[in-house]
This record gives sequence, structure tokens and C-alpha cells, in this order.
Amino acid sequence: MRSETAGDVVRAKEMDETVSEFFRRTILKIPLTEMMTILKTWNFLSENQLQTVNFRQRKESLVQDLVLLCEENRASLNDAALLDIIYTQFHRHQKVWDVFQMSKGPGEDTDLFDMEQFKSSFKKILKRALKNVTVSFRDAEENAVWIRIAWGTQYGKPNQYKPAYVVYYSQTPYAFTSSSQLKSNLPLLGQALTIASKHHQIVKMDLRSRYLDSLKAIVFKQYNQTFETHNSTTPLQERSLGLDINMDSRIIHENKTEKERVQRVTQEIFGDYPQPRLEFAQYKLETKFKSDLNGGILAEREEPLRCLVKFSSPHLLEALKSLAPAGIADAPLSPLLTCIPNKGMNYFKIRDK
Amino acid sequence: MELANTLSQDGESRGGVLAHLERLETQVSRSRKKMEEPQSAQAEESALGTRIHELRRLRDKLRAEVKQHQASVKASTTNVEPDQTLEITEQESLKRKRENVKAILQAYRFTGISGKLTSRGVCVCISTAFEGNLLDSYFVDLVMRKPLQIHHHSIPVFIPLEEISAKYLQTNIQHFLFTLCEYLNAYSGRKYQADRLQSDFEAFLAGPLQRNSLCNLLSFTYKAEPEGQFFPFCARLLYKDLTTTLPTDVTVTYQGTDALSTTQEEQRAAHEDLFFTKPLHQVFTSFARKGDKLDMSLVS
Repeated sequence: MRSETAGDVVRAKEMDETVSEFFRRTILKIPLTEMMTILKTWNFLSENQLQTVNFRQRKESLVQDLVLLCEENRASLNDAALLDIIYTQFHRHQKVWDVFQMSKGPGEDTDLFDMEQFKSSFKKILKRALKNVTVSFRDAEENAVWIRIAWGTQYGKPNQYKPAYVVYYSQTPYAFTSSSQLKSNLPLLGQALTIASKHHQIVKMDLRSRYLDSLKAIVFKQYNQTFETHNSTTPLQERSLGLDINMDSRIIHENKTEKERVQRVTQEIFGDYPQPRLEFAQYKLETKFKSDLNGGILAEREEPLRCLVKFSSPHLLEALKSLAPAGIADAPLSPLLTCIPNKGMNYFKIRDK
Repeated sequence: MELANTLSQDGESRGGVLAHLERLETQVSRSRKKMEEPQSAQAEESALGTRIHELRRLRDKLRAEVKQHQASVKASTTNVEPDQTLEITEQESLKRKRENVKAILQAYRFTGISGKLTSRGVCVCISTAFEGNLLDSYFVDLVMRKPLQIHHHSIPVFIPLEEISAKYLQTNIQHFLFTLCEYLNAYSGRKYQADRLQSDFEAFLAGPLQRNSLCNLLSFTYKAEPEGQFFPFCARLLYKDLTTTLPTDVTVTYQGTDALSTTQEEQRAAHEDLFFTKPLHQVFTSFARKGDKLDMSLVS
């Protein structure tokens, strides 16, 4: 009969040192305020075990106690990987996500996606190519899976501290991946995804952001969800975009018509819905210099000019939306800026036609 | 004492002592009655009196109310022109008609496909339903232009909208909407069945229900009786036709390590038939109701 108190260190460690260390570093990452929630979501340590732990002690000691409990439960590398996935799900904004688009051949049969088949196929493809790799899965929502991949090399064990993540919604052509530092494994990852999900091709989209949910909204076209119906009790009201023209009767707006035009145009382009969240838009220009004036050194230059223009913001699309009403830019804005959610791009390469 | 004297003095008193007693008794009761009568009469009188007062009070009150009402009616009618009153009632009837039409337009969504004109075209609403339950609504906002365009929509990404619009949107919009309606209703129906199974019949399943976005592949391990710890069967339902709510392929396998007995084989085959013909949650409802006896009459 072994007691389940956290301080019981008498039993010999049955867990691998590296796994133990992996547990320690993973649990250490979790902020104290989220510790209980994440451990409960993980559901690996029982209620009784959690009750034996003092959550108000110093973090280092708390982590030590928790690692001991994990050892008692004979936690495996996979259990640790699962905890890492849960931590990442809670802190998805800490990673930068890329979007990949897959395509099928024409005239394919109905997609009978089997999640278990997908997972085993995906894992098999990776393991066949790379013996040293850790692949873990966690189902999310009704139809999605989070995949964690720790890459190793032919002779080296997988590096658990630089994993790649893939989020895939079944029967859709899109996959979201966290930018992995080990870029060399990207083609293999793409191949595994494509084959396992029964697609033919995979292409990296020019879309990147920290906000996974916004990326999902953009590619699944879920960001504009206001529709006119007879059942809506409140009529569609135009948002004032921070401008209230009729606020004070002592103020006369001389350019009222222009202001109203700007508001109308902005509303037509950006709609009434909250914009998906992106942090930047990047334009790589490779164009010849164009000038109205004749002559000038730059106008004669045959080679195109190369420059990079980057717009950054905590919330880029909302910022763009407020430019014209704030008087900083003319309305309508350049289509290069307003096409971002429609085209699903925030990386552009502009060349002369 | 007196009694005895009376008797001794007048030996000819009629009836003797008892008769005398009787006479005295009747005298007393008569006199008592006489005393009570005016009392009861009085009580009756006073009761009637109070009732009269009450009724008078009520009458006065009602009279006053009637007078007040008449006065107010007179006041309102004297202030308003005769044709204005006619206008008001006309306005009211128009308002009522408008409310009626609005209600009819709102109720149109129960037909499954409804729409509202917008500044750029029309916004079509497809309301899905299954077994009389109203489920999710999906929208397609169309721009009336040549070529017809979809401005935005709320169709899930795994429904083949691009395929359907490529085929029908420009040539036959009716067919486009009906096909989309078919796909969405079937998806809603399959999703409804899967959700019902997951929530209402958790006890019958060993582990979670395996499903996908379209709910066209469902896989689960189950038992057909509410009691027992053994989940003998594993079912795999495929819905290859995305416009149907019943599976096109059903495989039920026996999970046990021991050899399959004839009754178990019968059960297994019967279950396969059930899954083919009845919605998923209804099959499990029949399991829950029948207990261990499987009602073969359910298999049509």
C-alpha cells in the first residue's frame, strides 16, 4: 500500500530523467493563476492527488511536488506532450501561425474523413521518414485536432523544447502551423498532412498572424456574419465610427456631406462586423519608379526599385478602418489594404505587370 | 313547596303535578319565543338595513363612474374633428395590416427557404430542420449583378459551396438554392443525430463518438442494454451521399474475444438493419426502451 502524499520520495524514480525534466520545465511554464485549470483540463492527476498538494507554496516547490506525483502515476512522454499541447492551446498567441492550403484532384469521391485513420497515417508517414520523432494528438472542438511534433534527427533524440504544432479541421483544405524554428522539416510535415487528409497538393498561403482564431475566421470566411433578415428586431444601424456629427448643436460641420460619404464608403468596404485580428501587413515592392514629372534620375532607371513596406498595429484591420474617418487617408483606401481578409493575404509581392 | 300547597289546596287541579309542570313548561317556552321573536326580527331588520346601505353605496359609486366615463368620452370626441377620428381608425387598421404582413414575412422562414431584399440584391436564409425540430439557419447574401455573385455567407467551409455554385449559380438559381438546401438540411440532420447520441445515450457508449465535420463518418463502440459493463458491438456508419440523413454503409462488428453465439449474431445483423433504416438516436431510444429484448418489429 503506498500512500499518495506528495512528500513521499521513498519509491525509486521509474521515469526517465529526460521525461522528468520535460515535465518540470513544462509545468514551470504554467502561470500560477492557471495552474489548477490546466491541470484539471489535463485530467492526468486525480482530484485526491491534487488535494494533497499545497498550491500556495513557492512555485519551484510546487512544481517539484507535481513532478513527483507525475512520477508516481508513471507518466509517459506522451502525457507530458499532452500537457504541453494544453499549455499551448491556452497560450496560442505566444506562437506565430502560418496557414497552408491543400487541394484535391478534380472529381474526387465524397470525403469520408476518419480521424483515427488520419492520425495513424500522419504518424506513420513521419516515423517512416524520421525515426526520431514524437507525434502527439489532442482532439479539440467537434471536428479539429491539435498535433504536436517534436523533431529529432537520424542520430539524435527529438528535441522536446522546440516542437511544431498543427491545427487541422477535418474535411477542410486548411491547416494552421506554428512557425517551427526547424524549417527543414516543413516539406515532410506538408507531405504527411496532405497524404493523411487525402489531398493532392499543399501550398503555403501568404497569411501569418499570432491570432489563430482570426486566421480561422479569415480562411473559413466567418468574419462577416451579419445578415439582413425579417426576423431582426433592431434595424441595421450604421456605426458612427467614433464620429458623432449631431453631438453639439453649437458646432456646425462644414464638410458634413464629405464626412457622411467617407462613413458610407468605409462601411461598405469594412462592413459592420468586428474585423479579424492581424498584427501586420507586408508589401514587397519591385517596381519601376513612376513619376508625373518628366526627367529625373529615378525615372530613367531601368531596374525596378526594391523596397519593403510594413504596416504594424495591435489590430491592423481596425486601424485601417479608422484611417479615413479620422481624416488621415482618403476614402476609399487602396484596394491593396482593403483586400486583406477577402484574399486571405497579409504578405504581398508587387511587381510591374 | 308551592307545588305541594297548590295540590293540597286544590285537589281538583287538572292533570296533577306532571300536567302542571307541562303547563309551566309551555308557558316558559311561549314567553321565551315571544322574547326571541322581536330579537330575531330585530336582527333581521338590522341586517337588511346594512344591506340596503351597502347597495345604496354601490349604486352611488357606479353612477359616479358612469358619469365620469361619459364626461371623458364627451371631452375626447368634442376635441377631435370627425374625419380625424376616421383617420385614426384608418391608421390603426393600416398599422395592423403592416404588423400582419411583417409577421407573415417572419414566419416564412419555417418554409425552409426565405429571403429579404437588400440594397445590393437579396439575402437568402436557409432554415434547416430534422424530424420537426427547427435547427440552424444559414445565409447567402447575393449581389444582383451579371454575373451573379455571393457577397458573403454563413455556409460551413466543408459544405461544397464552390462546387454547387460553379454548377448552378449562373444558370439556374432555383436549382442552386434547392441543392444547397438539400446539402444543408442533410448535414443538419446528421449532426442532430450525432449530437443526440453523444448527449442522450452516453451510458450506452464506451468512449467518445468518433465523428468528422460533415458527420458523414460515425464510429462508436456500444451496448444495446442499459445495464452491464461489457460493450459488445462496434459500429461504423458511412454517409456517402451528402444529401441523405441515413447511412449508405453500415458495419457492426462483435467485440468479444469469445466466439460469436447465434443470438449475438442475430443481434448484430438486426442492429445493422436498424442503423440502415432508422435515425441513429431513435435506434438507441429503442435499445433503452426494450432492454434486452430487441423488438424485431422495428425493422421495417
